[in-house]
Amino acid sequence: MATLRAHGIEARLPDAFEGRIFIRPRVANEVPFPVAHFATFALPGQVADFGGGAVTLMGPNDVFAVLFEYGPESIGTRLFARQGMPRVLSVDDFRPNLLRRGLGGQSGTQWFFTESGRPFTFYAVLGSHVRRGALVPHVNSLLSNLSVNPQPLSVVPGASAWN
Amino acid sequence: MVALVIILTVVVLLLTVLVAGLLRSHADILKALHELGVGVGDPVGDPAGGSNIGPVGGPNSDHHHDHSDGQIHRRTRERRHSTKSAPNSTPVPFTMGPQLPGERNATSAPTIAGVTPSGDALAIAVSGNDQLTLVAFLSSGCATCAGFWEAFQTPEHLGLPDGIRLVVVTKGPEMEIAGEVQAKAHSHLQVVMSTDAWGDYEVPGSPFFVLVDGKAGRRIGEGVANHFSQVAELVRRAQVDTQAFSLGSRSRAFAGGLDGPERESANDQELMAAGILPGDPSLYPASLDDIFPSNIDNLPADPSRARTTPLQDPQAAQRSAG
Repeated sequence: MATLRAHGIEARLPDAFEGRIFIRPRVANEVPFPVAHFATFALPGQVADFGGGAVTLMGPNDVFAVLFEYGPESIGTRLFARQGMPRVLSVDDFRPNLLRRGLGGQSGTQWFFTESGRPFTFYAVLGSHVRRGALVPHVNSLLSNLSVNPQPLSVVPGASAWN
Repeated sequence: MVALVIILTVVVLLLTVLVAGLLRSHADILKALHELGVGVGDPVGDPAGGSNIGPVGGPNSDHHHDHSDGQIHRRTRERRHSTKSAPNSTPVPFTMGPQLPGERNATSAPTIAGVTPSGDALAIAVSGNDQLTLVAFLSSGCATCAGFWEAFQTPEHLGLPDGIRLVVVTKGPEMEIAGEVQAKAHSHLQVVMSTDAWGDYEVPGSPFFVLVDGKAGRRIGEGVANHFSQVAELVRRAQVDTQAFSLGSRSRAFAGGLDGPERESANDQELMAAGILPGDPSLYPASLDDIFPSNIDNLPADPSRARTTPLQDPQAAQRSAG
């Protein structure tokens, strides 16, 4: 089982998954925070934070997931009140209308939470809503192998973390 | 007189030490050259240089890998003697490196995980998908690798067939300078720095290329080359072979891992689908020429002979390409 480890995020990848944990280059005053992409298909070199450029490549048996960190100003807000990453999702958590980009046949889910003192969202896309019964276990397998370490977040005045 | 003798003795001793030091230095230089793959006087090398394309070949070329990678090197050496360099190729006295051990696993294709030159984490699953992945094991310092790094600067001119994923793997940051790797890598090139991957794939040295069939989840070719055009051509052949095998074959005995009676039955069906029925003369070759025609271009129009096409027979294809 391959292990990815960077920027305080660690993922032991289940079979057939690949992924990357990265921080985008800083642009102007923007402060980028870590983003992790995971997929059961070949991720192209350039993928937008929430899967733009990747989800269109998904087959019906594929899964795509994002772990996206927000800035420290998000800590303590109602959106991130949930403590801890969801570890087990059900098929009912995935809906076609939860997709950031509505592609026919796909479905998604999104969760906001605080883990180890860091605000995150977890967003997952299934290649086929019809096959969610077979695909959701892959997402759960990924979730059970994700961990986040406490990491001091740099505070940059005037910078927006909502990228 | 005594003083003169003493002085001469001291001078001779000093000269002896000096000569010994020079010889030692010379030996160190030769050893370093050998380790860099440009050794002089390699007993297995071809002093005339020439093309030394590794067998990044068709799907059936892994039969050789399964048994012994030593065969890869022997075959490559034979080809080195039997082929001429491309017109634009520069002879490089690059040796194939040490003989690969026979027990080496040359088919496994584990996920490649490591870091990028910028410090991000990256894992690439080469198995479990429907595409071919070409993994280039390079280093930032090797002279032969420089040409590949340069070629990768313009990915649109690489000549790789569509649908081939190119991944460059260097050793990890503990053995490579990330800044140098980053300076050599094109921004759109996927580069993983992972010493573990070099161990997983038992890479004998750089440059080294591995072609993985994602659907079969295994390596279908590996070897070395002097120029990327050579690699691209062999990848193209492998892709055609793979497509011909997966689409043209009604039997999936090999891909499906069938064994025993099921495999035999599947093979029979495939032969019959190709028009080869029991008693066909091609099933009873009298010589090697019947199996691997020495000149593919001069194959007779006889359909029973024409069935052995270069695509179905990678070895013959490689021979014809030579």
